[in-house]
Amino acid sequence: MDIEVISEDKFGGETYKALFAEIMSDVGKAFHMEKASLVLKPEIPLFIFSVQLRTEHADKTIADVANIREEGDAIHITVTDERYAPEIMKELWERYGKSRVDQQTRFDIEVQGAGGTDIGSFIVASGEEYLKEIVGAVWRSLPEGIKNRHTFIDGKVITVVATEEILVPRMLNEGLEHHKRMTGAAKDV
Amino acid sequence: MYDGGVYRGEELNELIEDIGGVVIQTTRSSQLLSVTMSIPSEDKKMVTEFCKELGGTVKSVPLAGTEIAVVGPTLGRHHMPHPICDIAESLRRQGAITVVMGLARGRGKLTSQISLEEKMIIDEYDAAIFSLGNFKPCVEAKTDLFSDIRVPVILVSGPRPDGVDDKCDGIVSGVGRKVSRMRTAPERDKLDEIVDLVEKVLDDKRRFLDEDPLFIHPAEIKLLLEEYEPVSMCLRPAPIVLHLDGLRVKVGYEEHRENIGNMMIYGRRLGDVCRLSPSKINDSSIIIKIKTQSEVRQEDLEREGADDP
Repeated sequence: MDIEVISEDKFGGETYKALFAEIMSDVGKAFHMEKASLVLKPEIPLFIFSVQLRTEHADKTIADVANIREEGDAIHITVTDERYAPEIMKELWERYGKSRVDQQTRFDIEVQGAGGTDIGSFIVASGEEYLKEIVGAVWRSLPEGIKNRHTFIDGKVITVVATEEILVPRMLNEGLEHHKRMTGAAKDV
Repeated sequence: MYDGGVYRGEELNELIEDIGGVVIQTTRSSQLLSVTMSIPSEDKKMVTEFCKELGGTVKSVPLAGTEIAVVGPTLGRHHMPHPICDIAESLRRQGAITVVMGLARGRGKLTSQISLEEKMIIDEYDAAIFSLGNFKPCVEAKTDLFSDIRVPVILVSGPRPDGVDDKCDGIVSGVGRKVSRMRTAPERDKLDEIVDLVEKVLDDKRRFLDEDPLFIHPAEIKLLLEEYEPVSMCLRPAPIVLHLDGLRVKVGYEEHRENIGNMMIYGRRLGDVCRLSPSKINDSSIIIKIKTQSEVRQEDLEREGADDP
């Protein structure tokens, strides 16, 4: 992840760059981020944290993260993205029960008596949940007292504008400008 | 401080008693035992040899007999457990009893505040360490949090703030908000720097107390209180904690103040040579502040004057 820091506070800027990377890595979201831009103005205080994601948020189905093959009355699933394996198992157990779902290896699952169903369309991760987790991770990296926040979301870019007391229009405009800059950069890619 | 097993631990206690020393703190965890003691310097070699015979180690702990508060703006994940717990741990390794405290409304730059009750709680300790963040303007704006604290305060922050030198007794910069343990060599050096500064500040406080010495040493009161059954039967960790100028006894104030106040030491009531008050945290602990020799003499003179028509 490429992190850009805009700050006049040299110590704070350098530290927050490392902190942001460490927190995102801790919560397992660094992998999803292409680029991050942090505007730090502790003297106001105003913080604008903008992240550009690798992929646009959308519902993930079993077909997106696994290969599906039908053999008679059974369906064989080969997981291609292991991060979603627990959700796939959860979904299958809920729908068919544990007795009919057999996980043969780390990646291979067989579901008995599921022939003819569209297993591929089952949702294993909702786009909204994904967004919530990313926004939560960004909030977590902000200083603790900075509680008043506004979030802009467009395509792959999420921008959080935050201050301590009242979010005045000037702050929101600054945040929006930054968000547009990041959105423009995302389109160039 | 002895660090070893429980094997023949009682013999160690007897040896300390025989040479006129005092056990400041005993911590037993399963088969492990650590004993913080105060012994005459001429007997140090003999005690060290005995401890080695038991298979343990002995090291000097300069902060023994002190209780230190490590204070963060809140107990939220932005400040806890790192670096506050790392600082507290390094102080404990040097013999101090530590408490970690978060303020109720200490977060933020413009809205941070400390209540009178919180200040009074911090004043019960021998010293306080305030751990603040990474931004210079924020650290400088938050000096009100500790400017009224009466005990020595050490400020630990990321950047070195300007214009706060007169509001605290020492500053250690380079330790701000952290999300992982302070385990690299430069970080361990910073922790050592904090411990060294605390040691220096408490030495200054000891020298100040020596100018008008306490009527009795806190350890003498500890020996007396250990004979008092509610204290000796107390199951709370460290039922008696030594301070530089007194003690914290973890028994209820309302229930025990009279009994403790009526204990006799050097022919005087303990209540006459000490000030007993309930802890501000709650009344399940008693704070004992020992009067100085001049205070006791002055009170004696006033009493004699009152008796004399």
